[in-house]
Amino acid sequence: MIDALKDIVGEEHIQVLEEREHPLGNHAPYVVYPHSEQEIASILKLANKQSLKVIPMGGGTKRGLGGVEPSGDLILSLQRLKGIIEHSVGDMVVTVCPGTTMKELSASLAKQGQMIPIDAYWPEKATIGGVVAANDSGPKRIRYGSARDHVIGLRVVYPDGRIIRTGGKTVKNVAGYDMNKLFVGSMGTLGILSELTLKLRPVPPFVSLVLLTFPVDALAELKNFIVSIQDSTLEPFALEVLSPTLHEKMNQQKGFGLAISFEDVQKAVEYEEDWLISRLPQGVERHILRQEEAGQWWSDFTRLPPEDTSYTSVEDDDQFEIALKMGSKNLYALDLVERCHQLGEQQELSVKAHGGAGHGISRAYVKGSRERLLAFVQDMRAFAEELGGYLIVQHAPLTFRQQLEVWGQKPSFFTLLEGIKQAVDPHLILNHKRFVGGI
Amino acid sequence: MPAKDVVVRELAKMVGPGGILHREEDLMTYECDGLTVYRGQPLAVVFPSNTEEVSRIVKYLYEHEIPYIPRGAGTGLSGGATPMGGEVIVSLVRMKKLLSIDYENREAVVQPGYVNLKLTNSIAHKGYYYAPDPSSQAACTIGGNVGENAGGAHCLKYGVTTNHILGLEVVLHNGEVVRLGGAPDTPGYDLLGLLTGSEGTLGIVTEITVRILKNPQAKQTALAYFDSVEDASHAVSDIIAAGIVPAALEMMDKIAIEGVEKANYPVGHPEGVPAVLIMEVDGIAAGIEDQIQEMVEVCKKRNVREIKVAENDRERAAWWANRKTAFGAMGAISPDYLVQDGVIPRSRLPEVLARIQKISEESGLRIANVFHAGDGNLHPLILFDSRNEGETELALEVGSKTLAVCTDVGGSITGEHGVGIEKKEDMRLVFSDEEIEAQTEIRSVFNPHNLLNPDKLFPSPARCAEVKKAVKGSGGVKQAVSGP
Ligand SMILES: Cc1cc2nc3c(=O)[nH]c(=O)nc-3n(C[C@H](O)[C@H](O)[C@H](O)COP(=O)(O)OP(=O)(O)OC[C@H]3O[C@@H](n4cnc5c(N)ncnc54)[C@H](O)[C@@H]3O)c2cc1C
Repeated sequence: MIDALKDIVGEEHIQVLEEREHPLGNHAPYVVYPHSEQEIASILKLANKQSLKVIPMGGGTKRGLGGVEPSGDLILSLQRLKGIIEHSVGDMVVTVCPGTTMKELSASLAKQGQMIPIDAYWPEKATIGGVVAANDSGPKRIRYGSARDHVIGLRVVYPDGRIIRTGGKTVKNVAGYDMNKLFVGSMGTLGILSELTLKLRPVPPFVSLVLLTFPVDALAELKNFIVSIQDSTLEPFALEVLSPTLHEKMNQQKGFGLAISFEDVQKAVEYEEDWLISRLPQGVERHILRQEEAGQWWSDFTRLPPEDTSYTSVEDDDQFEIALKMGSKNLYALDLVERCHQLGEQQELSVKAHGGAGHGISRAYVKGSRERLLAFVQDMRAFAEELGGYLIVQHAPLTFRQQLEVWGQKPSFFTLLEGIKQAVDPHLILNHKRFVGGI
Repeated sequence: MPAKDVVVRELAKMVGPGGILHREEDLMTYECDGLTVYRGQPLAVVFPSNTEEVSRIVKYLYEHEIPYIPRGAGTGLSGGATPMGGEVIVSLVRMKKLLSIDYENREAVVQPGYVNLKLTNSIAHKGYYYAPDPSSQAACTIGGNVGENAGGAHCLKYGVTTNHILGLEVVLHNGEVVRLGGAPDTPGYDLLGLLTGSEGTLGIVTEITVRILKNPQAKQTALAYFDSVEDASHAVSDIIAAGIVPAALEMMDKIAIEGVEKANYPVGHPEGVPAVLIMEVDGIAAGIEDQIQEMVEVCKKRNVREIKVAENDRERAAWWANRKTAFGAMGAISPDYLVQDGVIPRSRLPEVLARIQKISEESGLRIANVFHAGDGNLHPLILFDSRNEGETELALEVGSKTLAVCTDVGGSITGEHGVGIEKKEDMRLVFSDEEIEAQTEIRSVFNPHNLLNPDKLFPSPARCAEVKKAVKGSGGVKQAVSGP
């Protein structure tokens, strides 16, 4: 196998890993660095023929997400497929290579006053391919939407080496099935994204961030306030509830935090700030950050999740940190954040949680011993499911993931998911057992 | 397959005798959808009242290998709900309830036969609305919108149907009922996204949870008249490139304007004006004036003749009624018309419109343009007279040519009306055989026996159906397709 790989990418683009394993799993003895779509196709064809297990990887920030096998046969790194292929400024559309980091991409687009409005975590490391494949998103999806709303076209290398285009370069398109959707959030289990086309938005002319502090016993007021904002004509670009521990870390304040972002022309933003201030319930502290200061705050926010390098090894009695993602109806985010906080207090775990009261995604970063973490996940999952939502373990060491269902129980329509996987990757070479129900 | 009367009897047991049509004269209405040039005979039309009935019907059809087609209001413009011949049509129009509204979480649950505009009308008193607004919204169903991934004038800023669907209940090909979505990013492949726009080939949608939005605080609408189509289309590109995100940015050319002014909702567009842009911005009142001003400046640089800003809601509504009824208005200036739906990178508008004009001149058929300019979604309306020998065929050919121009500049063959029957062959303008196969492989997962809206969307040879020579009919060509 290794000789065949050398023929494809050249010896200098294969890395042999000394370590036998990685605490996050999703490991392999070799890393291959193709630098073209054709090379990816050749690698996959080879893997397909020999039933090799391939682990696609961008910046590696999602290495702790899914997967119960310690190791596959090779890691396929997209890091050499970098750069913008075409930025059509007049169309507000960009076509980009998968290994481009979010930060590189933003910097380049910003020169033309445009942006991809996906506020992904770890933008210095996370690549656009990985962000789309793992469907990463941040608080601003409340107005901008998430990867599924921005991706308009893909080139995908199928496991058998076919190169399939989905979508196109236009912002509207209903020719055939919306195949883009299949690959967004597919966790690299169906194909390798070799080129992505996304619609863009203008960089907003003025940005402000209102940070509010509600006393810990004022959750009812917090909820009412959120409902009144949502029922008003304000247009918040984030409406994120922060648990006390997180609020303290980010803003050095005691209580629940509410981070409200406005992005518009300055006059409109100022109107929105005034609206909020004039309606603040008693006892609620406020702090306003504008422009670069707000940008800095959001940039710090993207560094909340644990990094792939945050543990070198994990022993049974270690304290370690995991990340959870929960989905629910919008307002239940508040309940989820509250419950995370309470459980943390009860179980003496360090819990930093936040949830989007306007978009229904909540996240928690929890640190503690293995046993307590397991109990925490179980508790929170049951609670989320009671609310009609779900919980997934977004980041955790391999040994921890092996102890539970990262993605929760198989859904009732699992045969469809399985059928899709079978249709596209019949030899199960891509990210084997990494996704829902062991797909 | 059992004989027709057996099928009818069995289905009637499930929906009651009043829930099925099967006599030839009753089936006429169901021979086509909004695209009248293709027609086929269904076997029968059933009208289930709830999900269990749909499930029971589908299970029966599946077990007896009888092909079937889900159908909403039948306003589709690509033949999606048109029989190829011999299918049972499962009409969802009796499932037309608004099931629940949850303002705090900004969602509403509807049955598939619920009419699009009714949703906005039902929540308007609380200041909410449903964003996707196809021009047919007073008639088309939300189930049909999901089927086609419908768009509309205000989808430029707010996105098309797929961006507003939060959950679906679906009856699968074997009658099994599943629920998808319900919370954002539910684990697994995005079936919600895949089903939306699948034109009834992957399952029957029996319940839909949609996102509802709060009305913007303020809106301004302006009409900008131009002395040339070229200037108007440059203005469109410039507005987008300037980083303005209008709520809507629509265009009509001279012939389209002639049509709407002669039809039921004239608003006094100047006679003979070559192009008008309908521009709308919305958002926080304090910022609106700046936005409209910016657009006015762009238009001025492109030699705009005149700009009118709507004085009040009534005027705005009149302008929208004028625009949204434009397709039908063509009836006032032409016996027949064919709507096309190409989509292009919006910076290519001036060039593409010029090329379409050339196609019109060469063919001798007039083409009116009324379309979602800000999205680059063209609607060339090809005017023809089906009574003239060969003109229907010519119109279809001209339609295909306009699509080829769109794909030639990197665009696509349909922005919102779907492929249906009409654009099956045109799929080859966009996708390679391998890419089409990649899609039919997915279809096989959901629809393994191709019973569910068979032979639509993809350019495969018609399944055991014999396509008869086109026969002339009132609405244009009748393409009779006999069943197995
Ligand atoms: C005058 C006019 C203006 C129009 N303007 C627009 C416009 O601005 N934007 C736009 O996007 N479209 C427009 N259309 C096209 C059409 O109205 C839309 O495609 C609409 O979404 C169709 O809805 P319907 O209920 O009529 O569906 P139908 O025509 O009955 O069906 C459409 C497709 O969806 C499938 N389907 C229907 N119901 C279901 C279900 N419950 N489950 C699964 N599949 C189903 C059908 O099989 C078919 O393939 C216009 C049409 C007309 C006549």
